[in-house]
Amino acid sequence: MSRSRENTDLSRPLRSVIFATLPLLVLPQAASSATAAEVVEKSHQAFYYAGADMKARVTMELIAANGRKRTRVLTMLRRNETGGREQRYFMYFHQPGDVRATTFLVWTYPGKDDDRWVFIPAVNMVRRLAASDSRSSFVGSDFNYEDVSGRDVESDTHTLVREEELDGVPCYVIRSVPKTSAEYVRKLAWIDKSTFLPKREEYYDSQKELARVFTAHVVEVVGGYPTVVKRTMEDVKRAHRTEVTFEQIEYEMGLPEGIFTQRSLQQPPRKWIQ
Amino acid sequence: MNIKGSNPLEKLTRIALDHPRKVIAFAIILTAAFAFQFRSISIDTDPENMLEPDQSERVFYNSVKRDFGVHDLIVVGLVDQQGIFRPDSLQRISRATAEILKIPGVIIPDVVSLTTTDNITSAGGLLDIHPVMGEVPQNPAESSRLRAEMAENPFLHEKLASTDGTGVALYIPIREKNQSYRIAQQIQSVLKDHLLPGQSYHLAGLPVAEDTFGHQMFLQMAVTAPLAFCCILLLVFLLFRKSAFLLPIGLDAMLAVIWAMGLLIGTGHTVHIMSSMIPVFLMPIAITDDIHVLSAFYDRYRETGDKRRALLEGMVPLYRPMLFTSLTTAAGFASLALTDIPPVRVFGLFVAFGIIAAWLFSMTVVPATVSLMSEERLRRSLLPPQGDSAPLLDRLVRSVGRFAFARYRLVLLLGMALLLLGVLGVQRIQVNDNPVRWFKEAHPIRLADSVVNRLFGGTYMAYLVIEGERPEQIKQPDVMAYIAQIQTHLERDELVGKTSSVADIVKRINLVLHDGDRSYHEVPERADAIGQFLFLFQSSGDPDDLDNFIDYDAQRANVWVQLKGGDNQQMSAIERRLDEFLAFNPPPSGLKFRWSGLTYINRIWQDLMVVGMLKAVLGSFVVVFLLMLLQFRSLWMAALAMLPLSLAILLSYGLIGWVGKDYDMPIAVCSSLALGLAVDYAIHFLDRFRKHYRLSGDLGETNEYMFGEPGRAIGRNAVVISLGFLPLMLSSLTPYVTVGLFFATLMLFSTIATLLLLPAILRAAGRRIAGRVGV
Repeated sequence: MSRSRENTDLSRPLRSVIFATLPLLVLPQAASSATAAEVVEKSHQAFYYAGADMKARVTMELIAANGRKRTRVLTMLRRNETGGREQRYFMYFHQPGDVRATTFLVWTYPGKDDDRWVFIPAVNMVRRLAASDSRSSFVGSDFNYEDVSGRDVESDTHTLVREEELDGVPCYVIRSVPKTSAEYVRKLAWIDKSTFLPKREEYYDSQKELARVFTAHVVEVVGGYPTVVKRTMEDVKRAHRTEVTFEQIEYEMGLPEGIFTQRSLQQPPRKWIQ
Repeated sequence: MNIKGSNPLEKLTRIALDHPRKVIAFAIILTAAFAFQFRSISIDTDPENMLEPDQSERVFYNSVKRDFGVHDLIVVGLVDQQGIFRPDSLQRISRATAEILKIPGVIIPDVVSLTTTDNITSAGGLLDIHPVMGEVPQNPAESSRLRAEMAENPFLHEKLASTDGTGVALYIPIREKNQSYRIAQQIQSVLKDHLLPGQSYHLAGLPVAEDTFGHQMFLQMAVTAPLAFCCILLLVFLLFRKSAFLLPIGLDAMLAVIWAMGLLIGTGHTVHIMSSMIPVFLMPIAITDDIHVLSAFYDRYRETGDKRRALLEGMVPLYRPMLFTSLTTAAGFASLALTDIPPVRVFGLFVAFGIIAAWLFSMTVVPATVSLMSEERLRRSLLPPQGDSAPLLDRLVRSVGRFAFARYRLVLLLGMALLLLGVLGVQRIQVNDNPVRWFKEAHPIRLADSVVNRLFGGTYMAYLVIEGERPEQIKQPDVMAYIAQIQTHLERDELVGKTSSVADIVKRINLVLHDGDRSYHEVPERADAIGQFLFLFQSSGDPDDLDNFIDYDAQRANVWVQLKGGDNQQMSAIERRLDEFLAFNPPPSGLKFRWSGLTYINRIWQDLMVVGMLKAVLGSFVVVFLLMLLQFRSLWMAALAMLPLSLAILLSYGLIGWVGKDYDMPIAVCSSLALGLAVDYAIHFLDRFRKHYRLSGDLGETNEYMFGEPGRAIGRNAVVISLGFLPLMLSSLTPYVTVGLFFATLMLFSTIATLLLLPAILRAAGRRIAGRVGV
């Protein structure tokens, strides 16, 4: 399996982060007997559901094959709905300049299409977006909506292929095959045995060729939660990649439910999006 | 002047006759070395390589492809006369599309089809983003709803489905153009498996045509070239009735081809469309000297019955004309090195090399082979009871000579009239080409081209790149509106099937945001609205979709112009249409416009070809004239030698003008070498005429002599060369057909001009000309 060079460079800081956070983590001996689906489920919890709520300032750099860049800066607010696996996301765009104050609201449900709304300030309009296609790119980046808010664990058949070290970190290697046709025919994920965060994911397309690669470069513990603060999604075939940095991360702020409504699309909650 | 015995070329022949086995063995060893190079053959079928790698339009096209993420396209038309919007047929198409996505080399996210492309519709504040055909319709009502939905979206209308509902299209971008043939084969086998009976498929687009051409071309080389070879041998046999002549002639042609191709491959050149034609060009030319040698040998041998003497004596008057005919023909081909088109340069230089090699063989290998033949066999083969060969041709040649000499005024008048006709015809010549036309009319590629371009928005891609003077300028409302105006103007031309641009995206988003209110199908007046619409668009589909039309800095926009025809003239017409628009509607400040795309690139190299060929023709005209001066040491004689070929060339091209055949790539190539080949007969004629006149001093008697053996040799030669090119007409590729037909015509004209015009002129002005050269 080929690995990018950045990975190796990052292995040392990564490892120290992980050692420092080990005591906080879910029991490692349970993992060895875990089934593949359980590993994926835990990984989802660690990656998408950490904390009851979360806030981050997200910078996305879209980098084309010729080196040209497009930058997107947004504030992302997330709230887990109590008792279920539903989530709500609120996104406010700071950059690029001409889309400033554009906002997105996403309600996700397990086993069902998301609800999405968008506010377009130049025409002062809120529109609901019905997208049966969660493979759609997220604001033009190499991430799609599923990558941002998570794909149902039940949508794929998961197999534990092997356990191996990736950059010195013990990982489960899980193969996931979609049950119905999807953007990929096979996904290989390296999931950190201790944090359950994905370290690397490889997506193979219908030509059985490597199409996209996700890499978690830097993991930091914020408010007790190991968090991927630097990640990349690379479209291998297009030689296009998106680098994402999370800053000003906060968990458990007690975000009120009212933020995640259509009304705040037009009147974003100033307090949370500075 | 006449340097018998001490002639270095004659020495060469003497050596060959003294050591025939060694000379032949040596030639064969060298040939084996050249043949050994064939193992490293590499093939290049890309017409883009007609341009230098650093040619500015090509560099620009590459940057357009990279910056806008555009790829060469295979366009698949699926046609069902019963109507394609039926649940069962849509089901098949959906499955076939999924299979096509699995073919390596297909760029999955960029495939445009019913199931992979998104449509945005709106109703009651809801923007619904879904594949054009998310679910396959289960009943006729759903099918017709799908059809209506597609007709409503200008992005899909006539792009994915035809207006009459009989066809749908798939646009399949591919990673490498030179894989189009392989991918096209795989697509066809998928479609064969999946389509219903009565449904047909058509693969169109320049990449398929170009790559398929490359593959067929090599088939042609394996079939047409050997066929031409056999045909030439057959003609030689029919004309001379001497089976003994076939071996030396065949040997010369084969060795020359192997040497030329071997050297070409061995020196690291790719075999391009052009170079694949080297064997068919070289073979007939290679044997012209042999026919003179064997013709002379035959006449002598009948008198003396001594092989060696017959060869040596028969060849004496031939060394000079053979040297000069070979030099002029080689110079004609070598003049192609003056063009700016790399494959043409390679072609010209290596054919020239092959010609010189063939000339060398004519003086060495050919006499050596003849000398090794048993006297017994030669006698039997060459001295048949009746002795006379092809009496019809001989009589014809003789009467032509007498006629021209006697009725010289009429001949000159006729020549003048034909010259005028030629000049008038040349002025009617239309420069035009289209790689799809390189296939004969009935070929599936031609059929696909006409079907798909009739039903859909056009398979010939051209890109109009609009560049602003600063970043973000494209997003300005005035620029965006101007782009939309250009599109409207271009689309009014019926040649333009469809145009797409970032302005269309903006208009579409504006429309769907306003619940489909048609009055909003326009560019908004605020720049930030445009920015936000594009942002929304990016959040609703594949990121590439926007990148195809606008670059990262929003400084450049790319307008896709789909043409229904790919002729160079059609491309030029669209360029003129844009220029007119720009002249009457001044663009917003600082905008620059530049064309690109395969259709445009083809137009560019075509132009280079025409200019290049003109340069080459003029160049070789000068070179041939200088060689004639060197040969005859007389301005008069040199001018005289140039006359028949000038007439022949003017007539051949005049004919093209009158018939209305386009001046295309193959015709352009023919032009420069026509000179070198057509002058041959004049050289032979004048050289021998002068020699004899010096001896006899009588014009009439000399003319009688000329239309004996020398005229016969010219006549035989003409028949072999003209007819020898004809097997090319059996080819399924039109460039081969064109070349075959053109050469047959040219050589015919050249022979007629030589045999009629020269005696007439010599009669009219002979004493003066001959007098100058006389002694």
